Amino acid sequence: MKQPDTTAPLNVIARSPFNVYYEGPAQVLSAVNRVGPFDILSGHADFFSVLRPGEIVIETKDGIEPVSFMINNGIITVRDNEVLLFVDM
Amino acid sequence: MRRASAIEKETEEITTVKDLTAVFESLASTQVAKVKTKVELSKSFFELLWKRYSSIRVDPATRITNRALGDKDARQVFVVISAEAGLSGDIDQRLVGTMQKDYDPGTTDIIVLGSHGASQLSQRGISYVRFFKIPESDEYIDVTPVIEALKPYTKIVVYYEEYVSLGVQNIRSIDLISSVRDMSENADEDTMTAEDTIFEPSLDDIADEMEVTMMRLALSQTILESSLAQSASRFNAMAVAKKRANELIGDFMLEFHRAKRSESDRRLREVLISLKKKRKAAGEAQ
Repeated sequence: MKQPDTTAPLNVIARSPFNVYYEGPAQVLSAVNRVGPFDILSGHADFFSVLRPGEIVIETKDGIEPVSFMINNGIITVRDNEVLLFVDM
Repeated sequence: MRRASAIEKETEEITTVKDLTAVFESLASTQVAKVKTKVELSKSFFELLWKRYSSIRVDPATRITNRALGDKDARQVFVVISAEAGLSGDIDQRLVGTMQKDYDPGTTDIIVLGSHGASQLSQRGISYVRFFKIPESDEYIDVTPVIEALKPYTKIVVYYEEYVSLGVQNIRSIDLISSVRDMSENADEDTMTAEDTIFEPSLDDIADEMEVTMMRLALSQTILESSLAQSASRFNAMAVAKKRANELIGDFMLEFHRAKRSESDRRLREVLISLKKKRKAAGEAQ
């Protein structure tokens, strides 16, 4: 397995077919899958998962209100610090 | 020649038709702009998801259908995506006509989406196994019930309407499973394997979920694309109807003025004849 790069910033693209919820750098992304709640931070290992209905929280910068929204279904992938979040398909 | 009052009444009716077609034309134009934005957004979403889906390299044909490939008893299905209502020109007639050329009732079932397509099929005496209403395109189209209905088939051919431009709409057909498979084979994304990626809950579960999702999205895309083509076709049909109504109004106005002139000439003639008669009677009396 590749060694994760913890120095590179996490980049997040969170979309539904007709909406862009967030696109840009982030510190932490929180979601829930079948295993349970989890967080993605910079340097996370490559990851592919099916999400459960619930809330997505994206913390972008310190002191700034996090971006949050509810989803019915979704797929999340993490590859080389790029998080692609596809929801409500 | 018809009476001027009758022509005037008919002109008023045609003017109402012209006003209505202008309203429908304007609505169709707004709808084209609205759906076009959605098609573009949805397309970029699909491409982004596709990038990730192609990285897990799986064959959708073996997963989304319940029947084994090569089963001689397996039937194929044609999915006809039409408009929910009429007033969209001849596009649905062309769609059903194209499908009919390839249709063999012995080997093929038909699933129709949209009431207008269903009525077109009934008019031609073609039976279909399932009918689904086309949902409003303001929300993302949930095609889960349609995908469920498609599961028993090994070959799924979708007939839909393609938007090329405001003036041009084509009829297209795609083999849904093959096109999803071809896209996967042509992908240039690096493969994600269990050796270098964490799959939760498992690669198999994710592959199952992704394949159905991709099929769902591919079908939703074609419905959205059809909706765009139908709106454009409706716009064209209304523009033609408005032009025709304008021509008719012009013709009627000409006829109206001729009738008016003819009526006033006739009245004048009657007055002159009557004057002539009176003069003649007065002359005889003297």
